Amino acid sequence: MELKSALGAIVVFGSLVGVYITLYKLNKKTPLPPGCEDLKADCEGCHDYACTNNPHHER
Amino acid sequence: MNRFENFKAGLIKDNPVFGLYLGICSTLAITTTVNNAIGMGAAVIMVLVLSNMIISAIRKIVPDDIRIPVFIVIIATLVKIIQMLIEAYAPALNTSLGVFIPLIVVNCIILGRAEAFASKHGVLDSALDGIGMGLGYTVAVIAMSFIREVLSTGILNIVNPFNDAQVWLNVTLIPADYTIPLFNSPVGAFITFALLAAALSAYKTHADKKAEAKAKEVK
Amino acid sequence: MSELITLFVTSVLINNVVLNQFLGMCPFMGVSKKRSSAIGMGLAVIFVIVVAALITYAIYYWILVPLNLQYMDLIAFILVIASLVQLTEMFIKKTSPALYKSLGVYLPLITTNCVVLNVCLVNISNSYDFAHMLVYSIGTPIGFALVLYIFSTIRERLDIANVPNPLKGNPIAMIVAAIMAMAFSGFAGIV
Repeated sequence: MELKSALGAIVVFGSLVGVYITLYKLNKKTPLPPGCEDLKADCEGCHDYACTNNPHHER
Repeated sequence: MNRFENFKAGLIKDNPVFGLYLGICSTLAITTTVNNAIGMGAAVIMVLVLSNMIISAIRKIVPDDIRIPVFIVIIATLVKIIQMLIEAYAPALNTSLGVFIPLIVVNCIILGRAEAFASKHGVLDSALDGIGMGLGYTVAVIAMSFIREVLSTGILNIVNPFNDAQVWLNVTLIPADYTIPLFNSPVGAFITFALLAAALSAYKTHADKKAEAKAKEVK
Repeated sequence: MSELITLFVTSVLINNVVLNQFLGMCPFMGVSKKRSSAIGMGLAVIFVIVVAALITYAIYYWILVPLNLQYMDLIAFILVIASLVQLTEMFIKKTSPALYKSLGVYLPLITTNCVVLNVCLVNISNSYDFAHMLVYSIGTPIGFALVLYIFSTIRERLDIANVPNPLKGNPIAMIVAAIMAMAFSGFAGIV
């Protein structure tokens, strides 16, 4: 019973992570629509480096 | 001595809460009592140090393009473990912090430090950075909750988080007739935060001016 | 029915997610400098929260509970939210440049947004049934968008006001938020 539950946990976790990573990579590959290349959300609320909108990502 | 400078900066000048405006959500919500602040600060330090160390340890084997998903998963797992530990060993803290323990996952400080620092430096440096930023956060929330609790209830009350009945400190600083209950409500939270942030900003401008004056003198 | 209406009014006005629960402060401080960005962010958040709440609710009750994996809720929810944001951004990029211009840029800001995760977690911890969950998940982001819009209109004026130096930027915005919280606390008498 314990092993089945642990196996179920690993399967659920693995599939969710897999879905996320697949979608993340696909999203990175899709090009921006024409005319939208230099758009930036106008946000400077915090210096959160993890936020993909942060200006430090422009390199 | 670069490490120490970094550490000091995380405490006051680059204070994650009042200087960089990270993790504001939890700051405003949990600073109603000093107990909550200490508990939350401890939880954040633990998650920050552990996540920094783990992410720094695996930074060479994670492919660069999927690093953010990996960081998120690691941080979520750590937070869940710490949440379960708090639920088991400090249930009073769990009830008072409520939903803000799971919300440490999306606390900007942790993901931010992971991306900005831990993914580029060694394990020891990242651990020290985690402690520095975590302490900066803890100092900030304790300062804010001290002001709010004393002004709104007049009593400073600190209990042992693992055993409710054990009161460590209970001192009445302002008599009950002169307290301002406003500081318990959201309005008070915003005002206290604004004033503390303004104080830090004023201090930073003053320190910058002094440094500039010194630099001119040297020339 | 009246219970649902009460829940709606509570989640939009009385227990407002920004002014009472202190969530979503990062975009609240950051995206509220212009009205147009506030509208874009508000709409994006409404969409993401409603869909994320539905999906996480389904996953919790159809997958996690039968397999006795309730402790995985946090990890599962954050992964679902992150995947949903990626999927939505991809979808918008491919279908409508106009929509991308107005909403798409704000989507990455929503992944680490406290509001989304909070709505998903509260739906479970309050044991809402489907109708309540739907009302709560629609009401909360509407409350967020409403406050964000009002705040942005005030901030546009604040930019040209004569603010003391230490208070410039975020501190004065916080004080405005305090006054708004005072105003909104008057709604508590409605229910």
